[in-house]
Amino acid sequence: MIGFFAKLGGWGLQALTRLGRAHLLLLSMMRGLLEILRRPRLLLDQVFSVGVLTILIIAVAGLFVGMVLGLQGFYILSRFGGETALGLMVAASLVRELGPVLTALLFAGRAGSALTAEIGLMKATEQLSGLEMMAVNPEHRVLAPRFFAGFLSVPLLAALFSMLGVMGGWMVGGGMLSVDQGAFWNGMQNGIDFREDIINGVIKSVVFGFVCTWIAIFQGYDCVPTSEGVSRATTRTVVHSSLAVLGLDFVLTALMFS
Amino acid sequence: MNKKTVIEIWVGVFMALGLVALFFLAMQVSNLGTAYTGETFDVNARFDNIGGLKVKAPVTIAGVEVGRVTGIRYDAEDFRAVVVMGIQEQYLERIPEDSFAKILTAGLLGEQYVGLDPGGSEDTLAEGSEIAVTQSALVLEEVVGQFIFGKAKEGT
Amino acid sequence: MSKAENIDPTPPLVRIRGLRFRRGSRWIFDGVDMDIPRGKVTAIMGPSGTGKTTLLKLIGGQLRPDEGTVEVDGENVHALKTPDLYRLRMRMGMLFQSGALLTDMSVFENVAFPLREHTGLTESMIRKLVLLKLEAVGLRGARDLMPSELSGGMARRVALARAIALDPMMIMYDEPFTGQDPISMGVLVQLIRRLNDAARISSVVVSHDVTDTLRIADQVHVISNGRVVESGSPAQLQESGGDWTRQFIQGLPDGPVPFHYPAASLREDVLELPA
Repeated sequence: MIGFFAKLGGWGLQALTRLGRAHLLLLSMMRGLLEILRRPRLLLDQVFSVGVLTILIIAVAGLFVGMVLGLQGFYILSRFGGETALGLMVAASLVRELGPVLTALLFAGRAGSALTAEIGLMKATEQLSGLEMMAVNPEHRVLAPRFFAGFLSVPLLAALFSMLGVMGGWMVGGGMLSVDQGAFWNGMQNGIDFREDIINGVIKSVVFGFVCTWIAIFQGYDCVPTSEGVSRATTRTVVHSSLAVLGLDFVLTALMFS
Repeated sequence: MNKKTVIEIWVGVFMALGLVALFFLAMQVSNLGTAYTGETFDVNARFDNIGGLKVKAPVTIAGVEVGRVTGIRYDAEDFRAVVVMGIQEQYLERIPEDSFAKILTAGLLGEQYVGLDPGGSEDTLAEGSEIAVTQSALVLEEVVGQFIFGKAKEGT
Repeated sequence: MSKAENIDPTPPLVRIRGLRFRRGSRWIFDGVDMDIPRGKVTAIMGPSGTGKTTLLKLIGGQLRPDEGTVEVDGENVHALKTPDLYRLRMRMGMLFQSGALLTDMSVFENVAFPLREHTGLTESMIRKLVLLKLEAVGLRGARDLMPSELSGGMARRVALARAIALDPMMIMYDEPFTGQDPISMGVLVQLIRRLNDAARISSVVVSHDVTDTLRIADQVHVISNGRVVESGSPAQLQESGGDWTRQFIQGLPDGPVPFHYPAASLREDVLELPA
């Protein structure tokens, strides 16, 4: 029994120190912002590998999600003659929820896991240690640009997702199922408020981008520097990011739309 | 082409795409593209019952939007609802003071909005004016109730 | 021997006093005192798992000792503020076992990296310096290769070129000879010697490879069980009386370090007798 409590306490202590380390890392990366402002090239390269390489999956997913929403929405709405609200339904669900959330989940799977693996491997092959011995702070030079690149990319990716989703819904609704074009766009514009829906959606994706990138970088930086440790850290990145995104989504939704 | 330049171009494309998407969401998807953001002046109207009227509901004359509802409150003195409407500045001193305000419904189940019927007075509405003549929202239960009551009376 | 015992008027490059360091509950170092002189090749030897790499990380300030002091060039490494520590590190080079080259950069960019980070030199100056450093390790022709295209020995030589890019006062070599074929081993031995003698860069070599280390070292410290058990020149060590050192240097399978991991006697174990 005492052993059980000792184990529980030890586990709790470990979790707390990890949390502490994660926040110290965040602080250090914030300080690294100075260096990035001095050398924007560092950020540019990372926006490429974190953001640009994620465009394709986001674009394809956005389009298909929008098309499915168009189909499903049409079948349900047409039961009580509300097809004209299809545009509003597609846009509202994308802008408020699906855009930010699905983008963050896909980002965690595509870019987040890659970030963790890359940083973990750099740690395992002593590259981070080597930087330190060359009097270069790896937290500023390696981690901070990746962090800000992710932070910057996710909102843009989410906007892309939502836009293509609306297009997809419009293609299905307007093209295949002959919903009136004017009603589709007009209903959308009347129902979606810029501040209430669009801005809140962007805020969500900013928060998700922040959290997902932070988790990915911390898991890589804190991993056990062996091939097994890196693979475990990669799995943890995807699991923790997904749970954090879904949990935070609930909290943010409750705060924003209540 | 140099690898550095390729990266620069792609990042540029990415940023442009993202901003275009944000712009699209703002202008094409939301009401920002159609919303009036200029100056307004406030006009009050008292209703016995506003039904499902909400803040930001449109205010129209002859079906054209001239403003939006900016506030709704309950006046405990005379037990009525006070609706504050922000009317676009271009209509300042253009709407007769004795105009008639009523709460209407767009379509059978649509959103409720305020419709103004212009009167014939020389005086016009200005900041802080109050519309004297109003007609409350149609509440479905009351309509149905009246209908049944009317039928019952006919029967006697 | 006379070389090592010459009275040196300048203080030692690295002075370690009363160093204690532990991982979990295990003391890796339990009171280490060590001086590393300037301008010489000093070898630190010991069996694997004695924390030789840890010692280098303590000298470089990447790890913090539980007790004791480490002074490099008269400065207490662990009392320095971060900017000062970084300034000190610019004068220390370190060659990692794996080379630790940045995998997303070419050989040229790897060697140019410290120069780009720490100096405001123009591109043409950097190019000249990088080519000179690569020439010194004989890899000028490999400048456009990526680290993944290099053999282990070449990677280590590129890393060496990178370590000397800022003209440090000392270089720490972490197991430079492990996993090298005889030719690249010979190349490395010669490089370490030449950098030490010609470029006046003091060298600290950490290794468990006895023959090659003794070939180039001026001074050897042998550590075991968290302490320095023997110090002296290679010749001294080879004729040393210590049982442990003899076993280590001659590579005897049995001695103070037993062949068998501690266990109950074979007879008890096999017959499953109660202990």
